[in-house]
Amino acid sequence: MMLRIFFALCSLLLFTTVAHAQNRVTLSGFVKNAQSGETMIGAMVRFPDLDISASTNSYGFFSVQVPAGTYQVEVSYIGYNTIANTIELKQNVQRSFEISNESKEIEEIVISASSRPNQVKSPQMGALKITAEEIKKVPVIFGEPDILKTIQLLPGVATGNEGSSNFFVRGGGGDQNLILLDEAIVYNASHLLGFFSTFNSDAIKDVNLFKGGIPAQYGGRISSVLDINMLDGNQKEFGVEGGVGLIASRVKIDGPIVKDKSSFMVSGRRTYADLFLKLSNDENVNQSKLYFYDLNAKMNYKINDRNTIYLSGYFGKDDLGYSDQFSFDWGNATATLRWNSILNEKLFSNTSLIYSDFTYNVRVNSNDNDFGIASQIQNWNLKQDFTYYGFNNHSIRFGLNALSQTIRPASLSAAQNSSVNSIAVDTRQGIESAIYASDEWKVSDRFSMIYGLRLTNFMVMGPGTFYDFDDDGEAIAEQQYGREVVKNYLNLEPRLSMSYLLNGNNSIKASYNRIVQHLHQLTNTTSSLPTDQYVISSVNIKPQIADQVSLGYFQNFANNGYEFSTEIYYKDMRNQIDFRNGADLQANNQLEGELLFGKGRSYGIEWLLRKNRGRLNGWVSYTLAKSERQFDQINGGEWFNARQDRTHDISVVAMYELSKRWTAGATFVYNTGNAITFPSGKYQLDGSTRFYYTERNGYRMPDYHRLDLSVVYEPTPEKKRFSSSWAFGVYNAYNRRNAYIIDFRENEVNPNITEAYKIALFGAIPSVTWNFKF
Amino acid sequence: MKRFFIPAIFLLLCQLLSSCEEIIDINLNDADQRVVIEADLNNLPNTQVIYVSRTVPFNDARPREIVADAVVMIVGPRNNVFPFVYSEEHQGYINRSFNVRENATYSLSVTVDGEVYESTETMPVAVPVDSVGMLRENIFNDTYYFATLRFQDPAGVPNYYKYNVSVDGKPMKFFSVFSDKFNDGLYVTHQIGSVDNDIEMTSRVIVRRQSISAAVYRYWNEFQSTNPGSAAPANPTSNISNGALGYFGVSSATVYEFDFSTYQEFSSQDTSQ
Repeated sequence: MMLRIFFALCSLLLFTTVAHAQNRVTLSGFVKNAQSGETMIGAMVRFPDLDISASTNSYGFFSVQVPAGTYQVEVSYIGYNTIANTIELKQNVQRSFEISNESKEIEEIVISASSRPNQVKSPQMGALKITAEEIKKVPVIFGEPDILKTIQLLPGVATGNEGSSNFFVRGGGGDQNLILLDEAIVYNASHLLGFFSTFNSDAIKDVNLFKGGIPAQYGGRISSVLDINMLDGNQKEFGVEGGVGLIASRVKIDGPIVKDKSSFMVSGRRTYADLFLKLSNDENVNQSKLYFYDLNAKMNYKINDRNTIYLSGYFGKDDLGYSDQFSFDWGNATATLRWNSILNEKLFSNTSLIYSDFTYNVRVNSNDNDFGIASQIQNWNLKQDFTYYGFNNHSIRFGLNALSQTIRPASLSAAQNSSVNSIAVDTRQGIESAIYASDEWKVSDRFSMIYGLRLTNFMVMGPGTFYDFDDDGEAIAEQQYGREVVKNYLNLEPRLSMSYLLNGNNSIKASYNRIVQHLHQLTNTTSSLPTDQYVISSVNIKPQIADQVSLGYFQNFANNGYEFSTEIYYKDMRNQIDFRNGADLQANNQLEGELLFGKGRSYGIEWLLRKNRGRLNGWVSYTLAKSERQFDQINGGEWFNARQDRTHDISVVAMYELSKRWTAGATFVYNTGNAITFPSGKYQLDGSTRFYYTERNGYRMPDYHRLDLSVVYEPTPEKKRFSSSWAFGVYNAYNRRNAYIIDFRENEVNPNITEAYKIALFGAIPSVTWNFKF
Repeated sequence: MKRFFIPAIFLLLCQLLSSCEEIIDINLNDADQRVVIEADLNNLPNTQVIYVSRTVPFNDARPREIVADAVVMIVGPRNNVFPFVYSEEHQGYINRSFNVRENATYSLSVTVDGEVYESTETMPVAVPVDSVGMLRENIFNDTYYFATLRFQDPAGVPNYYKYNVSVDGKPMKFFSVFSDKFNDGLYVTHQIGSVDNDIEMTSRVIVRRQSISAAVYRYWNEFQSTNPGSAAPANPTSNISNGALGYFGVSSATVYEFDFSTYQEFSSQDTSQ
């Protein structure tokens, strides 16, 4: 049925292409970086005389229709020089533009360094874009530029624990963010138990975060979409760049394979904390392992002016081991094969075949324990997306995808004489298919909107044993299924985002979205661990559904030098998951009996003020929010605060250009402590003090605040092609002892007295990194 | 399994980041008092004690509020009633003529201020130990000593074990519970240390092994899997009715003694006794 709707839509659009467009002509093409030939995402192509503009899609392509004539065309991108060209448009023209962020200029006339795409005019709300250049300027822990740490500084995005890459958007859970790397789903976005994100910023072109009004082309996670694009590789010349830091080193090589036709990019990173372990005299310690590495690679081949093929991949691994007795490794792998095709100047097509997986392996070999635990979650995804520019004032996106999701839960395989048994847990498989259509429609000069619809069908597939449970979670019936559909969930997800321009510099926006989620992560610790179990929707587990409404006010002033925005939102979440007390989540075929289902709500208001130009750049963000959950079996059925509920969350990010060679940066964060469960009494059992808990998340961790500083020094290059820079930083500059864990214990001297203590993880941590490029 | 590597990870983190610890003041609410019942009855010859108390505020100087006026009794398998009476010496309720036997079912009834708290348990059959030994391990430059107990786990039935340990004459303390989820029917070694890591090369260690029921295992397993990293610590699920904290268990117990000064460096695995 879905296919039929889809093809009807296709033929409708192709037909109207012919009927429409008589004396209008189309200017289409790509916007590229003048130095590297990289395509630019979200660059603006504008006709000032007509007040018509278009922005490039995620492949750098744009298409815009105007009446035949000769026009001035301006092309701009954040932090780049805007260029202006005069173009004669008598018939359809395909043309690429190159823009530069360097001061020396080429033939076109430079107007000014431009700010980000005009947030006031775009109907999209709840969206934030960060470029790789910005990420590299923000001071972070250990001196490693980090996408996830940077987005945590934006309004509506909360951090997990100290130093964690885990993030929570508008009160949602950590597993409710769709993290895409070149369209591939990344399941576990962190290394070293969260202290580093899996994204090596050297390999990243740009990052888009959607927190509300999420466009119809995205689906599958109810709180946010973090869409990360990898660099394509320099089309014009070879380049090597890299950095040597205290924790990790990285290197990137890119360049043309066939000039202006094909290029590649390979980027790698590895930590070397484990090298210090080798210095130990203890044999167990010097044979231990503790490192991670990742590798990003991409290549593209331009078949002709209309067709390009991209192949990109990511592979990362963490390896932790103690002597030869214990080893634990985990990692993601993704691969994306894409074919871009300009079917005609008005219809852009992209076909993607995507694979991604996340695995972990544990090996224990001590005394007479000899066993391994292996778990894998993987998906194959086939996507077809079209963008149609054929109607005046409309840009229409439509497409379909089919995603096959497989979960092999941790199973245990023991050696012959081991003291444990092998345990196999049923593999679960689901097929999620979706079709969507959305239209960005400029209704009038002032009013524009993006409206869309996504239809998602999820099939829970056999084979396997499925159980029914009673109210206490005991299995009461079981049923065997063969290779067949066990259960089907069909959901319609409307999406809407619109803006009304009050005058040239300010606008109000409103949005609504419904999103359905079929993959759920089960975490019963405060930090998300690689061993966290994933489950898909099944007979007992209903899909998570979120409805979100938001309203916003946007204003640019001082000629777009400053941007101000405020958004208010309310999010309703259904079929949220928690656990019974003492739930057994590991190697449990009746895992679903351990789960509890409830609902959630979150609401808040966010403010963001950004300064984009001048020697001082940066932003101030403030979020006032609430996030709650309700489960009949928890907290006596009363609503309770979600762990990530934070009343106040403030970030200040400032970058100041001291001179041509010195740049200083500072980040300050302040937030209300996480909601947490503390005891409200004590008693004695087995001769020791025990704690008596009453209310779920009824307490707060102490307020968290921290200042990070950085200075970057770029000496004048001695040789023409070689440049380098030194980055010095201090994380937690005033050495604030933020509580990582608060726990309770008996006083050592008088065990009748009970005391609370905190553990702080990081004091002030200095860092130095040397970066080079040639 | 998870239990196995989370502490390992925390240990590693703490070692790596030389984290610091500090006593702090936290203003905790005073919740309504709850009744706490601890009845760990077994077949050892010492006096069987049932403790009844109430919770106290967190900052109270007392560790608990003892309830001395409860009506406590056990109903045995032939509906024979064993009243337990309060003993100041034991700070709990005792009955010197009470004995338990395997496979028999016992019911506990405790009445406090007119409220009745009840539970019923069947005493599991003991799983005999084949051999015991001592073991030394070096983990991150520190030496740890363990007592080891080897036995054949009965196949096809779930078995649960609980260990309490006393080191150098100090009071017995809970060490760990184990289930045979991952090693049903195998020849199993349990490696027993102490929660305070205070076993040294000269220590005398007493280990009490109990074959326990699923409900008692659940209680202690929930207790032992709560750590500072737990998302939502909660009171362990009790098998006693009416919202009482604590548990009621009837178990077969055996006591083993280890003298680590007799530990031999090179024949580490087994010194049969």
